[in-house]
Amino acid sequence: MIEAQSLTKRYGQRTAVDAATFTVRPGKVTGLLGPNGAGKSTTMRMIVGLDRPTSGSVRVNGHFYAEHSAPLHEVGALLDAKAIHSGRSAYNHLLALGATHGIGAARVREVIDLTGLQAVAGKRVGGFSLGMGQRLGIAAALLGDPQTLILDEPINGLDPEGVLWVRGLLKHLASEGRTILLSSHLMSEMAMTADHIIVFGRGRVIADAPVADIVGQGAVTSVRVSSPQAAELARLLAAPDVQVTSASGSTLDVAGVSAATIGGVAASNGLVLHELTTVTGSLEEAYLRLTADEVEYHTQSVTPEVVR
Amino acid sequence: MSTLAQPALARSSHIDASNRGLSATGILRSEWIKLRSLRSTWWSFSIIVLIQVGIAVLFALTTSPMATEPTTQQVTQAAVSISTLGVLFSQLVIAVLGVLVISGEYSTGQIRSSFMAVPNRLPVLAAKALVFAVATFVVSLVAIVVSYVVTMPILAGNGVDAAPLEPSLWLSFFGAAGYLVFIGLISLGIGAALRSTPGGIAASLGLLLVVPTIFQLIPAEWAGVVASWLPGTAGQSLYYTGSTFEPWQALLVMLGWVAVTLIPAAVLMKRRDA
Repeated sequence: MIEAQSLTKRYGQRTAVDAATFTVRPGKVTGLLGPNGAGKSTTMRMIVGLDRPTSGSVRVNGHFYAEHSAPLHEVGALLDAKAIHSGRSAYNHLLALGATHGIGAARVREVIDLTGLQAVAGKRVGGFSLGMGQRLGIAAALLGDPQTLILDEPINGLDPEGVLWVRGLLKHLASEGRTILLSSHLMSEMAMTADHIIVFGRGRVIADAPVADIVGQGAVTSVRVSSPQAAELARLLAAPDVQVTSASGSTLDVAGVSAATIGGVAASNGLVLHELTTVTGSLEEAYLRLTADEVEYHTQSVTPEVVR
Repeated sequence: MSTLAQPALARSSHIDASNRGLSATGILRSEWIKLRSLRSTWWSFSIIVLIQVGIAVLFALTTSPMATEPTTQQVTQAAVSISTLGVLFSQLVIAVLGVLVISGEYSTGQIRSSFMAVPNRLPVLAAKALVFAVATFVVSLVAIVVSYVVTMPILAGNGVDAAPLEPSLWLSFFGAAGYLVFIGLISLGIGAALRSTPGGIAASLGLLLVVPTIFQLIPAEWAGVVASWLPGTAGQSLYYTGSTFEPWQALLVMLGWVAVTLIPAAVLMKRRDA
């Protein structure tokens, strides 16, 4: 259980996290979603006591992180892959980390096996690929068998097998009743892994709901129609609550009418249809809609016409 | 990548429920593992032993007997000088290592792992300082004693009187090893406050090499006094008799320098975002 109350972090003039209040509950995978610079990483760093909140507070399992007598057994965190001395071997890194809590070599070997690092455990971390670094970070997070796991972009740099493994691992750990918080800017990944999503935009919590709600709420269902007589069809469909946009000369995106109705209108007027598809909103669209005004770093599109 | 174990293994049977939690001995053990698992440690300590013994041997080979019969004190002084001559060089190695021990954690991001495991942070600094101090003391003492053991027969062969390994000699050897420990701890404090390897090394070597020269060049009496209180100068009174300070005074001066660097470093470490 992670509880944030009006959590705020300012760096000079810039507000990285702005009065964020949210609760991450056990038994679920909770996703922290947001564009770059939205405050996800800063929030995670404040949860584990690395950054001091400017105001507000965040508690883990009922206590401030620093109050725990065995922090590694309470919270395991993977913040960034490079939180490891590059000159030390993976094995020695985990051994030194565990030693603080009296965790011995047996558990170290166990997490090395669990994350598939057996072959490279004796090698210096400096030579690790991004994926191996992530695995080692996950191994370190699991070392204390913690009740709460915090993972910042855990699948970054992992191969497809590793991605599947992380997804399975997180779901499994959540099913054991643990609290799982992971961040990502990949909406598709969140849709597959998370049960609940907290969306951040410019440091503020702009949505906090189950995945299904976010998709349902933010996305509009529309129908894509392709017809050589598109213009006439558009005229026939015109109504106050119907929105017709033309994607290209012969293709229409219609919102507010079902595909069946459109098909009926076309048939009764003798119009030819080449395509008639219901387009359901994705988490990605919902997310883009939610964060449209909250993106800190806007990109200039190279070919504006292509962007919907 | 090799096969991955089943997630079910995540829950461990290897964590002893009775032994859960942070402990001082655990943090000390952790810092010892960290120190011994880096190549820079072994390189630095090897260089110290090699350089100390090498310089002592070179010096012993070129030493000729005094014109007059030396006093017992002169014989002891000569043995101390020769056995600890390398300290002037190894202090630079120790200063660099002292900075690296902490700045290496900041430059690689390791410090975040360390602070997540020990969120109160200060035990990390304390354990690091203690482990580094003990290791430095042992290695330095070994280097000095080996220098003595190797050079005495050479000196005897040159017709120079060799001092027996008596308590006063041991005291000087402890003093010289202690001097290196103090230099290491001052550098550790500088490294922890600056959090940067190049900055920390520049500052600690500057304190040892550049700052004394500057004060010696200033033609004022106060400048000479300041120069004598600097760690690199005052510290030599720990093992050379007849220097500015008595050994116990030098000890206090060096403890003062350690406090002046480590205490602000500790305050900053506690306050700053990692």
